[in-house]
Amino acid sequence: MSAALRSFEAQWRARTASGARTADALQPIRDQAMQRFLKLGLPTLRDETWRYTDLRSLAAQSFEAAACETLGEIDPKASLSLVDAERHAATLVMINGCPPANASDTVINGIEISSIKALSKLDPNFWSRFFPAASDADQRRWVLLNTALFDDGLYLKITQQVAAPLVILHVSTGERAHEAAHPRIIIDAAPGSSATIIEHHVAHGDIAPLNNSNTHISLARDAQLEHYRVYSTSAGTTHLDSLDIHQARGSQCRQFTITLGGGLVRSSLEARLNEPGASLDSYSLLVGHADRHVDCVNIVTHAAPDTRSRQTARAIASDVSRVIFNSKVIVNAGAVNSNSQQSCRGLLLSPTAEIDTRPQLEIHADEVKCAHGATTGRLDPDMLFYLLSRGLDRETAQSLLVYAFLADVLTGMSVASARSAIENALISQLPDSQILRNFR
Amino acid sequence: MLVISDLSARVAGKEILNGVNLTVNAGEVHAIMGPNGSGKSTLAQVLAGREDYDVTRGSVLFEGRDLLAMRAEERARAGLFLGFQYPVEIPGVNNVYLLKAALNAKRKAAGEPEVDAYEFLALIRQKMKFMQMSESFLTRGVNEGFSGGEKKRNEVLQMLVLEPKLAILDETDSGLDIDALKVVSTGVNSLRDPKRAVVLVTHYQRLLDYVIPDQVHVLSGGRIVKSGDKSLAQELERRGYDWVMGAQVA
Repeated sequence: MSAALRSFEAQWRARTASGARTADALQPIRDQAMQRFLKLGLPTLRDETWRYTDLRSLAAQSFEAAACETLGEIDPKASLSLVDAERHAATLVMINGCPPANASDTVINGIEISSIKALSKLDPNFWSRFFPAASDADQRRWVLLNTALFDDGLYLKITQQVAAPLVILHVSTGERAHEAAHPRIIIDAAPGSSATIIEHHVAHGDIAPLNNSNTHISLARDAQLEHYRVYSTSAGTTHLDSLDIHQARGSQCRQFTITLGGGLVRSSLEARLNEPGASLDSYSLLVGHADRHVDCVNIVTHAAPDTRSRQTARAIASDVSRVIFNSKVIVNAGAVNSNSQQSCRGLLLSPTAEIDTRPQLEIHADEVKCAHGATTGRLDPDMLFYLLSRGLDRETAQSLLVYAFLADVLTGMSVASARSAIENALISQLPDSQILRNFR
Repeated sequence: MLVISDLSARVAGKEILNGVNLTVNAGEVHAIMGPNGSGKSTLAQVLAGREDYDVTRGSVLFEGRDLLAMRAEERARAGLFLGFQYPVEIPGVNNVYLLKAALNAKRKAAGEPEVDAYEFLALIRQKMKFMQMSESFLTRGVNEGFSGGEKKRNEVLQMLVLEPKLAILDETDSGLDIDALKVVSTGVNSLRDPKRAVVLVTHYQRLLDYVIPDQVHVLSGGRIVKSGDKSLAQELERRGYDWVMGAQVA
């Protein structure tokens, strides 16, 4: 057993020994998850979705639970601010996964906010909707641990059509090395509701815990959600983030995954289109910078007829960074008239950077329309020559093309302020950022 | 203006140009005709500075300067313009932005101040009207979703804004209907000037009914095999390229 596994088991025992167990409606779910996690262990390079990400150095560490307190005041504006202050519904600050103390008192028109702990006296059947049965699948290994160990989290019930975006600011912070946090968010959208939710991950201070976060999104009939997860943590941070999306009839989800920070970022998305008319647009902007390692795994399951998914991923890697994009579309038997598109393009900006893309299809139904394409390369020489032949200098021409490469994802964002802030942060990580600023 | 001597070039290891000689003086319009694969487009691209084309022999002087020693962007700023046969689409880079950056690059090289944003937009609108282009052009990406004809009009529009000394138009007439051909020809003719020169690369004589050339050259097998006045184009149209190539053998 690895040091990490032993330490997680010790945390689990400590939790079980304390009073936490008796009052927790989630306990049977947690028990099951932890048993499965201990049996399977941490994922290794031999596991299908982990073949590009080596966790051996992480496995050799012992982790303690990260604290809910922080040293000093958190200023949400000190970090990359994604929305105009006056234009958003609220900012909920989660420190190492702990919801704000007043979470359950926060009332926003159309969104009911609760701490998961406060609701945990409810019927366990209520919760089972948001905690899928423990799975052996290797992409879900860290979700098992999150389920077992998260102390509290945030439950958001969207009941109406809410125009202003809601921001969840995840702050990773710590005093000591080798701490781990397990942030948990549940987004429950009622029939016909709509909302925009931005999850923004930042670091505060020099030390950030291992961040093992999970967000579960459940969209009822005809619900609409635009969801962002933006990683802007510091260079040394390890982030293992998973997102589950379950969609009912006629629901629409637009999801943006943006990696602008972190040292090792593993970001997975598992979506299930459970009923006809469900539609998912997933956009991934994966930016490899310095020695960052970005591993993105998308698994979309068409579980009903007449469902639609579109995945647009743009990976860009400079310096000695590495970006991996693995995407899989599964069309279940009977899910006729499913329509899926996967478009993944990679752009290498340095000879020492690496991009690996793997679009996959697994189709068990007839009468489906599934398209996929993946390309990785350097800047298009024909485009470059065209711009040079108009007299643009080389740096400007190259910067323009890099920017244009990312445009497919950026233009899909409907929150203008988020788009603008993300563009700014993005540009600062690209070569010739000054030139790019000039033509925005 | 342009003196090409014994120019030979390779593309992907294959000899495409094989000793081209051509002199174009200021105020002249030259047409370069020839069958498919004769090297017309290669010649145009080599003159514009395409780097993956390998010049193996010869020299090119542009206003007395060694053109082959200049990079593509330097050639453009010095007043050379290539109208592409297949203009590339660049989604995400706005048409107007490109034009403005191109014009400013040229002005900067000439020691002139950058163009005023308001004046620039007025200039673009005027030229767009002249080229009968729709307003949507202003907000679209470079050639993004343009039809073949729109792309060619855009090439000519760029030429009119940049006012080059030497314009090389590579099959700007191909794929145009008769109305578009007239618009494009009017655009090219408007640039005719004692201080400028135009080289039209074309497969058909059709364009030359509207833009009357001073000289016509036939390129075949990577070299110019026949030169004449505009009547040569008409004769080619009547008798076909086999006639010239037959004459060459004889």
